[in-house]
Order: sequence, then C-alpha cells, then structure tokens
Amino acid sequence: MKRFTLVLFSLVMVLALMLTACKPTEPTKPTDPVPSESKETEPKPSESDPKPTEPEVKEPRKGGWLDEVVVSVIDQPSVVAQLNAGAIDVYVNGFGTNGLAELQESGLDYATSNGTYYSIQFNPAEFASGEYNPFRNRKIREAFNLLIDRNYINQEYYAGGSLLKWFPIMTNFGDYADLVDVCRRLEAEYAYDFDKAATIIRDEVAKEGYELKDGKLEKDGEPLEVVFLIRSDGDGTRKLWGNYLADQMEKVGFTVVRQEGTGADLGPIWISGDPKAGEWHMYTGGWGASVLSRDQSNIFQEMYLNTSAQGIGVFKANVSDPEFQDLGDRLYNKDYEDLDERHDMMARALELCLQDSFQVFVVDSKQFVPYVDGVVATTDLAAGVESAQITPYTLRFADKEGGTMRWATQPFLFNGPWNPVLGSNTTCDQGAARMTVSYDFIYDPYTGLVHPFFAEKADLTVETGTIIKKTLDWVNLDFADKIVVPEDAWLDWDPVEQKFITSGEKNEGAEVTAKVKSVVTFRDDLFDVVKWHDGSDLSMADIIMSFIMVYDRAMEESAIYDEAAVSDYEKFMDKFRGIKIISTDPLTIEGYSDIVYQDAELSAAGAGSLWINQFQGQGSFSQFAMMNSAEAAVELVYTDSKATEKDVEQMSLIGGPSLEILGKHLDKLIEEGTIPYEATLGEYITKEEAVERYKALKAYFDSYGNYWQGTGPYFLKSVDMNGKSLVMAHFADYPDPADRWDRYSEPMLADVDIEGPGQVTAGEEAVFEVYITFKGEPYKLDDIDKVKFLAYDSENNVVLIDDAEAAEDGKYVINLSAEDTEKFGDGATKIEVAVVPLVVAQPTFQSVEFITNK
Amino acid sequence: MATEKKNIALESTVEYSKQASRATAKRLIRFFFRRLILLIITIVVGVYLTIIVANMGGYVDKILDAAIREEVNMQVAQIAAQSGGMSDDVRREMIEREIALRRSVAGLDQPFIRRSLTHLKNALTLNFGRARFMISDHGSRYVRNIILERLPATLLLMGTSQLLLFVVSLFLALAVSRHYGSFWDKLIVALSPTSSIPPWFYGIFLILIFAAWLKILPFGGMVDAPPPPTKIGYFLSVLKHMILPAFSLFISSFMINTYSWRTFFLIYSSEDYVDMAKAKGLGSRAIERRYILRPTMPSIITSFALMLVGIWTGATLTETVFLWPGLGTIIYEAVSRYDTAVIVGTTIIQAYLLGITVFLLDFLYAIVDPRVKLGGK
Repeated sequence: MKRFTLVLFSLVMVLALMLTACKPTEPTKPTDPVPSESKETEPKPSESDPKPTEPEVKEPRKGGWLDEVVVSVIDQPSVVAQLNAGAIDVYVNGFGTNGLAELQESGLDYATSNGTYYSIQFNPAEFASGEYNPFRNRKIREAFNLLIDRNYINQEYYAGGSLLKWFPIMTNFGDYADLVDVCRRLEAEYAYDFDKAATIIRDEVAKEGYELKDGKLEKDGEPLEVVFLIRSDGDGTRKLWGNYLADQMEKVGFTVVRQEGTGADLGPIWISGDPKAGEWHMYTGGWGASVLSRDQSNIFQEMYLNTSAQGIGVFKANVSDPEFQDLGDRLYNKDYEDLDERHDMMARALELCLQDSFQVFVVDSKQFVPYVDGVVATTDLAAGVESAQITPYTLRFADKEGGTMRWATQPFLFNGPWNPVLGSNTTCDQGAARMTVSYDFIYDPYTGLVHPFFAEKADLTVETGTIIKKTLDWVNLDFADKIVVPEDAWLDWDPVEQKFITSGEKNEGAEVTAKVKSVVTFRDDLFDVVKWHDGSDLSMADIIMSFIMVYDRAMEESAIYDEAAVSDYEKFMDKFRGIKIISTDPLTIEGYSDIVYQDAELSAAGAGSLWINQFQGQGSFSQFAMMNSAEAAVELVYTDSKATEKDVEQMSLIGGPSLEILGKHLDKLIEEGTIPYEATLGEYITKEEAVERYKALKAYFDSYGNYWQGTGPYFLKSVDMNGKSLVMAHFADYPDPADRWDRYSEPMLADVDIEGPGQVTAGEEAVFEVYITFKGEPYKLDDIDKVKFLAYDSENNVVLIDDAEAAEDGKYVINLSAEDTEKFGDGATKIEVAVVPLVVAQPTFQSVEFITNK
Repeated sequence: MATEKKNIALESTVEYSKQASRATAKRLIRFFFRRLILLIITIVVGVYLTIIVANMGGYVDKILDAAIREEVNMQVAQIAAQSGGMSDDVRREMIEREIALRRSVAGLDQPFIRRSLTHLKNALTLNFGRARFMISDHGSRYVRNIILERLPATLLLMGTSQLLLFVVSLFLALAVSRHYGSFWDKLIVALSPTSSIPPWFYGIFLILIFAAWLKILPFGGMVDAPPPPTKIGYFLSVLKHMILPAFSLFISSFMINTYSWRTFFLIYSSEDYVDMAKAKGLGSRAIERRYILRPTMPSIITSFALMLVGIWTGATLTETVFLWPGLGTIIYEAVSRYDTAVIVGTTIIQAYLLGITVFLLDFLYAIVDPRVKLGGK
C-alpha cells in the first residue's frame, strides 16, 4: 500500500507542476530596435535644460503600424475557435469558399480574394481503340454549359460565395469589366437549360447511332459510357459538383463511371497519360489566378488551344475551330492594331470559346481571410492577404499605433531554407519574408497597376503604333518611330572579367532597337534615408550586386554557376535589351526592353526596373558577398537542385547548419577586406566601406541570430524553427510614414442602387437613376471608368446594351427612349447595371425589375 | 582405492561440468548467431518491403511526374502572365528544363529498381541520404537531420505519456487485482472500452474544453510563439503545451492497459502455486512479490521494452492534431508527400530498435525467468 501511496503522491506532484505551468507566460518585452547609426538622434536633456513648457508633439509613426508581428502556424480546423478564443488575430492563409458558411456563422470579419477556379476538362482525343468519344464533338461539349446549373452549384456547394463562371477570363479582372456587356449577354444565352442541353446531346450522339432506351443512351446494346475523373481532395467541392454533374449526365442518358481520387491518383491519368488511350473522358479541373492580371488576352490559347504552352497531352489533342484557333493565337501574340480591335477580338473569342468548350468553366471560387474585430488587413483581389505586397504596409489594429499582431498561417512555415535567391516558395514563408522587403514599384492590390515606391517617376517611350494606355500621373508616355539602344548600355555579363558587356560589345556595333525605353528616377534622398536592417545605408553597390546576380549564376564559367538559374536568365535575355545608369544622384535608370504591356505603368516599371529584390527577399552587397563565398566553396548553395547535385546543404540565412558556415565566410571577408566582383563593384565601394558593411552584418547576426535582412518596415527579430514561429519587429529607421499606403486598406468596391418606375409603358420614355457609393459616400466620377446597362425581356434575352450617362459624383442616369422601351416586349423586364470603377478592377452588378406594358 | 574412486568421480564431475559449460557456451553462441542472422534477414526484408510499399511498386514515380508537370505548368503560366509576354519557345524550353531539373532532384531520372536497391543499401548502412521534398525546420534536406531535429520533441511527449501510462496502469492494476470485485475493479472493467477511442479524438475534445472554452491551455504547438526568453519560462511553456497531448495519449490507453494488467495479475494470482503459498501462510506481500510479480516479469519487461521502442515513432495523428513538432508529424507528411527517403529513414530506425530489443529480450528472459533456457531443447 505504501508504494501505491507513493505513486499517488507522485501523480499529485506532476499534476501540480502541470497546473503551475498553465499560468500564462509574461509577454515578451519589446527589445531595442536594430542597431543603427541614426543621424537624427536627439541629445539627452541635461538637468540644466529648462523643462519643456509646450506639450510634446508626437512624431508621425514611420514604417509598419505594428510593433511586432508574431507569425505562427495552426491547423485550419481550429482557426475559428482560435480566433474566437483570442489566441490569434488573423489567419492569413484563408478559407476556401466551402468554409464560408462556418465563417459566417462565427460572426468573424473576413477579407475576400480570388480562390481556385474550376472547370470541366474534356478529353477531346480520338481514341486509338476506335471507341466513340462523344467529347470530340464540340456541340456536345458546348451543351454542357446548359447542362450545369452554376447557380445551384454556387449556392449548394460554395455557400453562395463564388462567382458563376462561363469564361476563362476572371470575373473580377479588368477584361471582364471591359467586356461586361458581351459577357452578360452570353451568360444569359448559356444559362442553365437542362432540356435544351439534353436535346442537343441526344441529337448529336444519335448521329453516331446511339439511342435512348430506358433512360440510357445505347448502341447495339452497349451503353454510352464515359469515365469521369473526380478530384476528392482539396476543399472537397470538386467531388460535390463532380457528382452533381455526373447525375445530370445520367439523366441525359450517359453511363458515367465516376473515378474519384486525389490529385496524386488522377494526375498520372489526365496529365501524364496519353489522351488517345481513352482512359478518361472528363476531369474536374482547377486553376489558380494569384496575379491580378490587367491583360488576359493570352488566356484563350492558354486554356483551349493545342498551341497552348501547357504542354499537357490533352491540350495538344484539341482540334478547335480554325477561326478560334487563329483568334486565340493572335490574341496571345498581341497581333492587333489598337485597343478597339483587341476589344472586338476578345468579344468574338468569348463567343467562340463557349462554342469550343474544351473546358467548361463552373465557378470562380473565393478565398476568405478571417480576423478578429479591429484588425485592418489589406487583401489583394487576386493574391489575398498573405501574398499581397502591400500587406506589411497596411496591416494594423484600427485606430491604434503599435501593438503585437498574432499572424497565423498554415503549418508550412519554414518549408524550405530562407535565402533571397531561391529559398522557400510557400506562401507561408514568402508572406512572412515579404514584411522585410521594400520596392522600387509596388503592385496596386485592387487594379493590378503599379505605383512608384522608392522610385518617383518614369518617362516611357514606346514605338509609334504600340497599343498602350496610361492611367496614372507618375508616368509620362511618349512615342518614337525607333528606339535605339545606346552602345554603352549594359546588356550581358562576362563572368571571367567580372564586367558587364555592353550592347555595343555584344552586338559588335550593330544597331539594336527596343520596343520600350523607360527612364526611371528614384527619390532624391534614396541613399540617405533607405537603410538595411543592420543599420547600413543603401548603396549603389547593393543595387549593382543584385543585378550581377541575375547573370553570374547562369554562366558556366562563374564560380557560382547553377544550372537552375539558366532558365530565368534565358527568359530575361529573351526580351531584355539593355540598361544604363544615367545618374546616381538622384538614381536614374534608363532601361530598354521588348516587353510591352498594355498599361504604360507596367511597361515603365518593367523596363526600368533595377532594384535589390530577388525571388524570396532582398539581398545586400554584404549578404551576397558572404553567400557567394559559401556557394563558390560549394559548402552551401542557393538552390535545391544544386544542393542535390553537390550533396551539400541549401543555404539558409535564418537557421540550421548554414549559419556557422556563413559566419565563417563572413569572418573571412572581414579579414581579407574582399570586394566581390571588384572589377565592377570597385567603382562603387571601397575596401574600408566593404569591411564596415560586413561588420554591420556580423553585429546584426550577433543581436538577432540570423543573417536575414532587407530594407522593409519590419526586421526578423527572432526565429523558433522547431516551434514554427518567428517575430517580425518594427524597423525604426524605415523612412516612410506609416500611413503612406493607408488608402489601400480597403478596396473601394462600389455599392450600387437603382431607382426607377415599377411599370414602364412600351413606346414611352423612361428614366432610371443609378446611385453609386462607397461606405455611404458618393463615388467620384473621376474614379469610375464606365457604367453600362443591359436590358432583358421577359424571356431573359438581352434586348438592349448601352452606357449610362454621368450626372454627378455618385449618380448616373439611364435614359430610355421610346424606341428602347419598345424592345422590352410585354411583361417582366430587367435592367442590369455594371459599374466599372477605375480604382478597383472588380465591377459591381445591380439589377432592377419592372413591368413593361404594351 | 576409495580415494581414487572419489577422485575419479570428482574428475568426471568436473569434466562433466566443463563439458556442460562448453555445451552451454556453444549453444549460446549458436543461438546468438542464429537469432542475429534471422533478425538481420527480417530487417532486410522488412526494409525492402517498406521501400516497395512506400513507392507503390514504382507507381509513385508516375504520381510525382504528373505532380511536377502540373506544378511547373502553373508556375510558368504565372511567370508568363507576370512577364508580359514570353515567347512560346522560351516558355516551352523553360517548362522542359524545369521539369527535367525537378525530375532529377526527385530521382526520377533513374529506374525504380536501381533506386530501390540503392535505398536499401543506404538504409542498412544508416546512410539515410536526402529527402525528396521534405526539409528540416532548420532548412536541411538530409533525412538524418530531419529525424534528429524532431526526435527530442517526440521523445519528450511520448516518453512522458508512455512512462506515466506504464507505471500508473501497472501499479493501479496490481492494486485493483488485490481487490477483485471491488468498486474500483468494476469501474476499470466498465471503462475499459473507452480505450477504443483513439488519442487524437480525445485530443480534439480536450482542445475544445481547455483551449477553446476554458482558454487555460494552448490549442497546440510545443512552445509559446514567441518562445519565452528564459530557460525556466521555456520549460514551463513546453510543459503547458504538453499537457493536452500527453493527457490524451495517456487517457486513451489508460483504462485498457490497467484492465489488461489487472486481468494478467488475476490469472497469475489464481495459479496453484499461489494457492499453495497462501496455504503455507505466506504474507500477501511475499506472495505478490515472489509468486505473482516474478513470473509476470518477462511480460512486464517485454511490454516495457516495446513501449520504449514505440516512443521513437511518435504518435502520428495526435502530434498532427496538436501540431506537436515530433516524428509523428514527419511520418504523416512523408507518407502524404510520398517522400520515400524519410519513410524509409524512420522505418529503418524502428526496425533496428525493434530488432535489438527483441534480441536483448531473449537474453533478459533467461535472466529473470529460470524456466527459460537459452537455446535449450
């Protein structure tokens, strides 16, 4: 009994210890900011100083709004519980549309962005076995648009949170807004109509001898069997609507073999398999659009044509109508005279893509990022919160400076080593790393355009006749008959001499032209105010070093050659024509390129881009010197593929075995006073300055235990790699005010209200007023691109499409003439208005119904 | 004469004893090698089967190939969309080059059979090599580092919960076996079916109660984010995070373990020699120690040894539910990502540990149980 008592006592002790451990831990005290040599340090007041009599004026906050962002990981099933329990503030990875109902029930706030978009992917190949494949027939595929009730799918499986989708262009991107009248007309034409779909399909298969017997399509007693590959993984919605579609098909008479499986199960069949083998007929496709694309003219070739670069067998098997094939290819190659022609081509392509229906699109699903009350989180319409460039600059608690934001993401943090060149590419890692980064230009989260960040303005020259438009004031657009690249512009790199090769040298004096010339001027005080997290000033050596990295890693003669870099280099050189540094005070870059975007802003930023950003983050001169030294010694390497080839570790600046090796190389650099690529960088930095930079990096490491740094609003203060958490702390030396990007805290999605008569008499004039507001305030006319309206008759046919007239801020008017109302016929009529703002790519739709009397 | 005879008898006894010792030694050595060879064969076969199963007989190559193609296509499409016009040739070349690179990284450029034999050789020599996709939290691709990094967390969680479970259930079982038919005995019997519920399921309930509702314990993880700066703070934070996963592992097996041991002790308590001891008037403590615990010792030792082996595997689903950064989550991830190198790495450790344990147990049985004779016929 004594022993039992002893065990019992031990248990009580253990429990007591555990309960003690339940005591909440003390919040970590904010530590000192990064060591820096701020020139504006105020002297300490001496005792003899007079006491201040005036109230202290608070300096406006600079950098990020928050004191700290604590990044940690959680499992999605516990997100709502953790938000409600106050354990986290925001779950940046977001929920799919299938989780919307749970979010709505929880009462939590959430931001919305694009999610996956889904399609029915057909196999249009002629089967080698000679077996009949109904989906070689375009009319049958086209009828599937009528066979599925997209609204039912949205309401039933996506909690009404998705956008119904007929076309490959995104429903909330600029092209849809531009073509909204065409889209809405076609959507009405291809609305759910089971009977019509069944009739078309049965008539078409009847031509091949299939007849409906006892509800089944048969030929010589053999059923018309199709294999439908249904994805069961992901958010699970493909399984739901896939089975719904299979049910619909069985009602038509198909015998559907439902083969459910994960991506891993089905990928070998539909991606790697030979479509002619006839192993499958249909697949529940899913696609992503994480970039807010301003120009989707490439999408028809991409999604339908056998010329698509997708490189998947089933795409090559599609034989499209020649008109569509030609149109899709021309749009991909931007083979049009002007924007009007492009508009017409796109409108026609929308019609033809539905007739082709190699893919039948179902819904644009959404992603929802939940957060607790009081959090302000900017969501890029395409990329969401975690992947938006602007997030670190706007993330805050409403009406509050400072504080600690608990940022939770999926358990894929530290899913790879962190190095700026080619470190981890998970959204979890990138989302955290992005907090340390600044830009020359930054993407607008709502329009996909760019705004100057540390750049200030750009003068853009394009070839005469180029189709381009300008929206924002910071770019000046000009045209020239010919843009000649100067001979002294840098074009390539000599890894042996370690010098840039000029355009003249590369092309042996032959004249080289470019389609675009962009002269980008940065802010005057760039090199005075922009600082690295180790306290060093940004210098030209940083910018040039970063540019050298584009080339040197891709050159076989280089000490840091990496085969993985060759593709990127070739892609870059395909369109790059040269760059010149016109001035370093202020920094002025003159770039030449053959890449022309439809928007002057994107073209200017693209051609004149010379900044310190790499794939995963920024790299300073000192960091690259250290990392390159380790790479050249093949002790650590930037990329995973090279690490496998050389059987060494991939470089990480934040932890693991890399740190010791990097430290050793940094010491060596300090000792030897190395200037890497001295033949080039020797012009921009002295040996003493280089050593100072190395020492600053070393001091930073000594303070924070990592070599990760940038020039962004937060720095990496601590990392707990096993615990999968990190802390980003406010960078006190960041130059810009915290409120600089506040206007992007929330998308200005228009609220639309239509007022008008409940009854209209055909043949008489009528007026409808459209009120457009944002948060109750009238939407400025300057911020609206256009307001279109479509009128539908009682049969849901589009009978009229026109523009509404601008009246005043927040108000448009639809004036219907007697001839217009005559078209409405008799009965219920609907007017649908599409408001297309300039400041946000997503149009707003609103409709009003009324009765038309003859 | 008599002395001579005595001497002869003594000599023959000594000789017999020597012969017996030699025979025992021979038997031991024969037994030792036979067992060793058998175990090695078992381990080799087991590991190779693991390699074949983990690779689905080579089908995983097709899965990975398709996944690589899909991923590269989407990535390049995104780059093309961002780059504002990439020529078809460049794009195709980029896709093909990237696919070739990734295939090479994943080892798909070599035939599966050849790879499987290399895996086997590496595994048996404890050269775990590089993981296909997975990476350690510290950024290392080496399977050894991936495993070693997670091992302490698993040993901590599993060690605590399983040791606690073993000791508590054993002693409680002994206690209730002494009071057969009592309230506590009946309670143990009645509640033993609760162990059919897996620990992760208890875990979800515990999370709901203590984290979501009472808000006194964390939802998961191993330490606060950010971790407390002081050692004692860190220790307490780990302890706090360990309560729920350890408790869920404990309670899910506690009842059935206690019930099993209690039944086991009851069986031994009803042996004839125990009755005989009782009849002789021996005290209950002495009976328990000499006549019940002694013969049950091999089973207790086996159970303890296997428990020690078990703690090296972690609790896959429980660790996943609690986001406990242990080996269990690694195995879960490795299986779901078809990372054969990691699966084989964790399996080989298990195989070796199990092999060594079984091997040692054979000898231990002979020491603790006089009825067992090594290599005896």
